[in-house]
Order: sequence, then C-alpha cells, then structure tokens
Amino acid sequence: MIDARKTIVVSGIGVVSPYGMGLSRLQAGMLAGQSCLHPVSELYPGFQGTVAAVGPLPSVQDGHHYSRSDRLAMAAASDAVAEIAETCRDFHQSGIVMASTVAGLTEIDPEIARGPAAWYRHGGLSRASSYSVSRVSASVGEHLGVQGPACAVSVACASGALAIALAANMLLDEAAPMVLAGGSDALCPFTLSGFNSLQALDRESCRPFDQSRKGLNLGEGAAVLVLETLAHATERGARILAVLRGWAMTNDASHPTAPQKDGIELAACIHRALEMAECDIDEVGYVNAHGTGTPLNDIAETHAYERAFHERSQPIPVSSTKSYFGHCLGAAGALEAAITISAIQKGALFPTLRLNNPIESSEIDWLRGTVRRQPLPVAMSVSAGFGGSNVALVFAEGSGSHNG
Amino acid sequence: MNPTSLMLTGVGSVTPYGPLAGLIPTAPLAGLIPTAPLEPSTITAWATPELRRAFLVEPFRPASIVPGLKTRRLDRLSVWALVASSLALRDADIDLATMDRSRIAVFFATSFGCVELTEAFYQSAATHGWAETDPILFPETLSNAPASHVALFHDLHGPNVTISSQGFAAESALLQASSLLRHGQADLAIVLAGDTLTQAIYEWYETAHLLSPACFSNEPLSSAGGFIPSEGVVAMVLEPAGRQEARSYATLGAGRWAAGGDAQSGVRQLLGDATPRLTICAGDGGPCAFTHSTCSARNLVGEDATILPAQPVATGIGEAGALLHLLLALSSRPGAGDALLLATSANGGFAALRLEIL
Repeated sequence: MIDARKTIVVSGIGVVSPYGMGLSRLQAGMLAGQSCLHPVSELYPGFQGTVAAVGPLPSVQDGHHYSRSDRLAMAAASDAVAEIAETCRDFHQSGIVMASTVAGLTEIDPEIARGPAAWYRHGGLSRASSYSVSRVSASVGEHLGVQGPACAVSVACASGALAIALAANMLLDEAAPMVLAGGSDALCPFTLSGFNSLQALDRESCRPFDQSRKGLNLGEGAAVLVLETLAHATERGARILAVLRGWAMTNDASHPTAPQKDGIELAACIHRALEMAECDIDEVGYVNAHGTGTPLNDIAETHAYERAFHERSQPIPVSSTKSYFGHCLGAAGALEAAITISAIQKGALFPTLRLNNPIESSEIDWLRGTVRRQPLPVAMSVSAGFGGSNVALVFAEGSGSHNG
Repeated sequence: MNPTSLMLTGVGSVTPYGPLAGLIPTAPLAGLIPTAPLEPSTITAWATPELRRAFLVEPFRPASIVPGLKTRRLDRLSVWALVASSLALRDADIDLATMDRSRIAVFFATSFGCVELTEAFYQSAATHGWAETDPILFPETLSNAPASHVALFHDLHGPNVTISSQGFAAESALLQASSLLRHGQADLAIVLAGDTLTQAIYEWYETAHLLSPACFSNEPLSSAGGFIPSEGVVAMVLEPAGRQEARSYATLGAGRWAAGGDAQSGVRQLLGDATPRLTICAGDGGPCAFTHSTCSARNLVGEDATILPAQPVATGIGEAGALLHLLLALSSRPGAGDALLLATSANGGFAALRLEIL
C-alpha cells in the first residue's frame, strides 16, 4: 500500500547544459550522440585541455551582483517551475536546496591575495558578496519569489545528488509543500587550475570506463528538480515525471581525494538506497554512473557495481554521461538525476561516448555505441566526490512517463 | 526508543574560550546576564595599518588534546573540527569501537568554508600563474574538507554533509541531522559549525563598514553599532533517546526554518500554544537585526521569557554562532524548561528550533 504522503515524486525538471536551455535540448543532443566538449583555450587562453561550456545566459538586471553559478541556477529553476509557478497555490512556500562547489569563486581573481582591502575598494566588494554557496540558493529564492525553507549544500562532486536526498527528507518532515532541489556550477580558472594541478584532467575528450582513460573534462551547467509528495502532486493534478523511491548517503572515510579502491562504501550506499526503495537488484535497469574518467574513480566505481550487483541474473547496464558534456561538479549529480529520469521517460539507455575498450567486468554491461531502447521502470543515479562522499538515488517511472 | 526525541549528549568546542569539552566553565554568564565579557585580542596574523581587534582562538597544540592527531597540511578550520568533534564524543562518553560506524553521520555548517587555504591557493596563482598552482592546496579549499577529515579521523562511514546556508547553516545542520536520525538513516550525528577569520574576511567586513568601533581601539566593549569578528568551531553529539549511559544537556524538539518569509508567523507556528521560558538569539555575524527587532519586541515569546541576547564573542563567529549561543546558554545552567533557538541571516532568512532543556 503506497502512502501518498511519504512517496516523493518529481514533477518538474529544469536544465541548463552545454546543449542549451531545457531538458528537451539535452535529451535531443544526447540521443543524437553529440559531444559538447571543446578545447578550453577557446574560453581561457593559456589553459590547455577540453571543457564543455554553456552559451550566453539570460541577463538579470535587478541591481544585485550575481555570479555565473547563481545565474545558471536561476535559469534552471525558472525552467523547472515554468508550468507550476502560476498554477500551484502554495508554490511560494516551496523550499529550496541548492548545491554548488564553485559558487562565487568565478567572481574572485588572484589579485585579492596581494591585498584584499585594495581589491575590495576597486570593485571587488560586491563581487565577493556572491562568494558563498548560500547565494546560489538565495538567488533562486529571490528570482522566483519563493519563501520556504532554504538550504545550501556543498560536498564536492556529489553535491547535486545530496541536495535531492536532503530535499526528500524535508518533504517527509512536511517542511514545505514542494522543494526545488539541484545543483549549479560554472567553469572558472580556480577549478581548472586545481584539477590541472592534481593532474586529473584529460587534455583530449574524456573516456570514462575505458582502459585508456586519462582523466576528466570539466563542464558547467545547472539542474533543478521539483520534488513534492505524491499526495500534494495528486491534489494539484500535477504530471508526475518520476518517483524518487530511494536515496542514501555514505562516506568512504578512506582518503581526502582518492576513492576507496574496492568500492565498499559506494556499494553500501547503493544497497541502502535500494533497501529504502524496496527494490530488488534485478529491477534496476540502468545505472547512470559517476564515471569521471579518472583512473582511480572509474576502477573504484567498477568494483562498487560488481560488489553491489553481483547477485543479479544479468549484468547491470552502466554508462557515464559525463562523456557528453564533462564533469559539472556541484551540478553533476542533479544533471545526472535529470538524465536518469529522461532515460526512464524515453525508454532510452544512453551509451558512454568513446568507450572502445572498457574495463573488463563480467558483472557490468557497459553501454556503448548507440542508444539502447527498452522499457525502463527503475534506474539509479550514483554520485561520488572528494572527501569520500557517496550518494545513490533510485528513480522509478511516474504516471507522466512515456516509457518503451 | 522514541524516534521523535533526540538528545544532545556531548559538546566540544574550539573558540576564543579555548578548546573545551562540555560546558564552558568560564562562561561569563550569571543568570544569563554577561558579567565579565571576554575582551577582543589584537590581530597579529597579518600586517594591519593600525590597531585591529577580534575575538581570536589562541594557538594550541592539537595533539596535546587529542593524542595521535596529525594536522600537518590542514587549515585551522579542519584542525578545530577534528579537536571539537573528538572533545564532543569524549564528553558524550561514546566509545566508537562499540558502535556501527556506518550509522554515524557528520554534519558541518560553515559560511565561508576553508578560506585560509583558498586564499593560499589564490596566492599561489598570483605568484606562479594558474598553470602552476599548488596541488596540495586545492582539495583542502573545498568546503567539505573539514567534515571529510572528521570522518577520516574517526573512521565514520555514515552520511557526510556540509551546509553553507549563510546565517543559519548551523540551525539547518541541526534540522537536517534531526531529520536523518528521525527517519532512521543514521544512529548518531555529530553536528559541527564553524568558521575561521582571515585577512580577506576581516577586510571585507571593514570595507563594508560592518565592524564595531571596539575593533579599532582598546576601549571596552560598548553597545555601539557593528560587530566584532570572531572564529571557532563548536561540535555537538545528537542521538535518539535511549542509550543507557547517556546523559543529556537538552532534548531537541520541533524545528522550523525559512528563507525570506515572515519570521514571526513561522515562529508562532512552531510554538503553537507554548511559551518558551528561555529564548536564545543568535546573530549571523551581522548586526543581529532579528535579535533587536524581533526578539526584543517580545511579541513572539511573551513577557515571562528570559532572553539570552546575542553575545559579542558569538555574533561575529560565522556559523558557529548559533551553537556557541546555545552552548553559552547551557553553560549558564538555566534550569529545566522550554527554550527557543532563533537565528537570522543577512540574506533575509531565519531558522528556529525548539528545545527542552533537561
């Protein structure tokens, strides 16, 4: 018996990606197998490597200074609620949980290190005011006129997925009638330089799960999901895009940056999410992996899937969609949640691009080549990040899905 | 076990009062009235044109408090988080060896995150260029570095969450941790909140004209406008009622939070017919608008309530402010009864928690 007050559904999805504004452009680009990765020198002369950038964003002229991460978030949130804001009576009491890792770092330059006071006096004061991650969630609230509970989270590359998990808990607590949850991150020299210093970047287009993989590509974007209880969605006649059946969070507690190589805690996270979803491992038809393309991440993740799904009757279909538009850091988990829901809705399993020689595994069905068409009632999105954070989300088809 | 009843069983802190387990024995409160306020210290960590003061954490040797603790390459925020979490677990009489560490969550609240090493990374870029930055620094610039170090040191595999809702991140962390415990997603949560004071943060406040006159002279504290920047980390252990050996400082009741909404109606909804006996006001490092305009009006909490006003040492401390206010209130041993923890944000939000002090 389904408890409609304890069942969390997705009733809106907003996306800003290197494909453009909206989920439909993302879906169309991915279904066409189009890669958005380009040489970084086109954006930042002096840097070498490959990135995926979003085009011009809608301008916001209300007197406030917004970082690019803020503006990406505002655009994605507007897209998510386009069909809701005018028709839902308690929309303005919605909660917001937004994630970011870059946030306002885009607005700060190294000159601040030579003398903060002088930098502030020469125009840096208002730019620095957008530094905090909380500005991303506050900007969304101000932009949409939403005044419910707000929360800003930052757990490195698992941030966007974590935002969705915490938002689901808030709905179980009846903290708000709906919660807008997601992540947003912009490309910036700080993160390009940081990952470059760690030698984590592939100068060419990344090859997640390929034996020849050399690292990740950075991307930018934002995704926002509208979450509410089934009871609330039913009452207002909402189109239900998917059901968030389970979510879980664990930590490797193994190393500040490297994942736990045998994937034990990531596998535990997957188990816990499936347990909450009351879902058998054979029911999961697809895993949208974290799949950064770094040697350490991809082998650890492979071990996690082997551990979590080894009792399945068939190998588990897995792909990394970072091969299309790079690693969008704090936005990645939310974007990949949106892609997972798209896979369920379209009955389309997106392959990993450039996966020619996959890591050998008898328990994983590496998706590559062309899009695989099949009904997909249940799928999972998995995220991980620096600091050992792991998040797993289990989605199932909703009444508004057009599966098969 | 009553899943709706959560106990605050351990406290640890690294603040201008020093590193402490449990209550603050020197808390300058008697009947909730400050009698001997802590005085700000002169800033010497960076060159200042004239006298500049703040409430600062004096240097100490972490391994002398937590044996075996290695802190090389960590910034002070992570070091303080490690020390405060260890002290809180010790105060709660928790033996981690007997617990399921996959069921222990860590929540960390911060406004600015790891700004010391973020500034060092910018320094590295300014000196050597973006192509030659220091690889040791970058991972430690991430806001979740302190929480991940806490998990790594204590070998904790449960949810690990960093919240940066400026102004009410600590309350948000308490609310999210409570939610996790009540929904059975963890058995115990360590909730930490803190920020460090750096040159870039201090000079931002100064350029924005937010500082108290007491920052620029050796005059005693006054009630003149502005605030005095501070720093530190406070850690609290939260667990469901029922552990036999546990003794509790307070029980966490219903919580409420909002952003940009009507704080007064939100708090009224939280309280229902109840009237808290004690109200603890936490500012966000700003001028404590909520404290003055809302709490002082008393129309929220009634004439009989005692109000612990925002304390100078805790108002400019960033996200540790709310937990330090709560700790100061508990340290004053206010007696049993209902309490209300309130906080506000410069971004126009508020958070409120209802507590029962045992």
